[in-house]
Amino acid sequence: MSRDSGTTRAKHRQEALFLPSFCDIRMVFAVVVIAELLAFVLVLAGYHIEVWSHLGLVSLFVQLVALTSAAVLCMVRPLLARTGNTAAAISSYLLLLLITALISELAFQTGGLGQPLTGNTDHPGFLFRNLGISAIMSALVLRYLYVQHQWRQQIQAEAQARVQALQARIRPHFLFNSMNSIAALTRSDPVRAEQAVQDLSDLFRVTLQEASERVTLDDEISVAERYLRMEALRLGDRLRVEWDIDRLPRKRWVPSLILQPLLENAIYHGIEPSPQGGRIRINGWAEGKRITIKISNPRAASGADAHRKGNQIALENIRLRLQLAFGEQAGVALTEIADQFETTLYFPREKMQ
Amino acid sequence: MKCLVVDDESLARERLARLLAELPGWEACGVACNGAEALRQAERLQPDLVLLDIRMPGMDGLEAARYLAGFDRPPAVVFTTAYGDHALDAFDAHAIDYLLKPIHPERLRQALDKAARLGGTPLEELGAAAGSARRTHFCARVRGNLELVPVDEVVFLQADNKYVTVRSPGQQIIVEESLKSLEQELGASFLRIHRSALVAVHALRGLDKDPAGHCRVLLEGVEDRLEVSRRLLPEVRRRIKSGS
Repeated sequence: MSRDSGTTRAKHRQEALFLPSFCDIRMVFAVVVIAELLAFVLVLAGYHIEVWSHLGLVSLFVQLVALTSAAVLCMVRPLLARTGNTAAAISSYLLLLLITALISELAFQTGGLGQPLTGNTDHPGFLFRNLGISAIMSALVLRYLYVQHQWRQQIQAEAQARVQALQARIRPHFLFNSMNSIAALTRSDPVRAEQAVQDLSDLFRVTLQEASERVTLDDEISVAERYLRMEALRLGDRLRVEWDIDRLPRKRWVPSLILQPLLENAIYHGIEPSPQGGRIRINGWAEGKRITIKISNPRAASGADAHRKGNQIALENIRLRLQLAFGEQAGVALTEIADQFETTLYFPREKMQ
Repeated sequence: MKCLVVDDESLARERLARLLAELPGWEACGVACNGAEALRQAERLQPDLVLLDIRMPGMDGLEAARYLAGFDRPPAVVFTTAYGDHALDAFDAHAIDYLLKPIHPERLRQALDKAARLGGTPLEELGAAAGSARRTHFCARVRGNLELVPVDEVVFLQADNKYVTVRSPGQQIIVEESLKSLEQELGASFLRIHRSALVAVHALRGLDKDPAGHCRVLLEGVEDRLEVSRRLLPEVRRRIKSGS
């Protein structure tokens, strides 16, 4: 357990680091391409007559520096991840300069690259030029990586915020009204009170799950049943429920809490505003490759507009979650038929993506 | 002291009645499950205090409180609610109390004591909360009896001096309000056809002319034909044609 959380923490830290992993083969390829482009620029800027032989030498040198840098950054990345982004930026910048200096020195001493590359044998000149180029290029590359990392993090944060916003919530009204019912039942009917506490706990456990959680249709229906049982407690015979789900494949997976919010809306807008109450029908079936679930409730005269509005938010939420799970083949629709509101959920029968 | 318990949920009523039974000096003299029933019960039982749920189907607690305040001997009102309704913010906290469900027995006792001390709740202390929402019923006394006319059943409203006659197929009451404020409150479901009259859009049936040549509207459910002012005639005609 502790090791698990230890590795997760390390993974978290590495995700927070702005430097990508240079061990990744795609990253290595990118490094090679960028290094080669730099070599081109250097050769083009040099106005040499023998462009091709010069390009060979420059490429060799630049690739050496770039690939060594990538290898070193790949190795020290776990260390850098512990320090935070500012320290990591400074140390990787200094590392890049150091590598440039070392390789320049090595090249000058052993291969005699300095002479053909610079056209003279000025040792310090060769070193300083290379360091200068490296200082500018490293700064640009690091800056680019940092900005890209910020951008990616922002996108991720936005996606997360969206998922969190999609997380189904139960109305506070429902919570406190349920608590009130339970307070009444504890004396008059302790058995029902006990059942209500269990139902309410189960409902809240489900709402505390991640929004991306998946459950079987069977579980989803049992959550819906618990919810309706809680509501029946307080609404009494004003709430009448009719299930017709024998033709529904119960073992299929769905995003958690796709039915309950619709039932909640049906009650809030269709049953509660009416002194006589009404009937909610849940009808589900599979046809070909598609599963359909229909929820209908009476349209309360006074609450029709609020119903449409309240439903739109819930529907949008469920539509997004269904589409995240199943793609474009899933959806939800609201229709008004005579004095009824009908909400239809549909999604493919095959496994979730 | 007599207390009327008003809530649309039977378990909530049951619990409140039990809590009241445990408080010395108080008794639950009756229960009601919506605002309109609360008014009738209050009329019959003359309670000292009404425990009034805010969110109820039909007539809600705020509207009921407004009419209760108009009683000859207005009972004190204590609101109950499951969760902080925005409406509560509008109350003058010193004059009107509210209790959050599930209600704590000690808080109930305090609220009842205070209400008993202060007596009936005057209309103005309901603040903006009671006045802003669209009503569901008109309420008035006819020969001493309380009469409620659901807004949905009203066919027309006709002003005469400082009174407005509210007419439905089965009822006719007189309320002391201005037609202008009623027009604003009721919104698009009523149409002005004359300086002194609003008619329910759903009741519009047609037009005819009286012997003197004035245009009049025919309305569903009542025999009365109301004169349409020349200025408003095109709009009335358009609404009748569009069938709404």
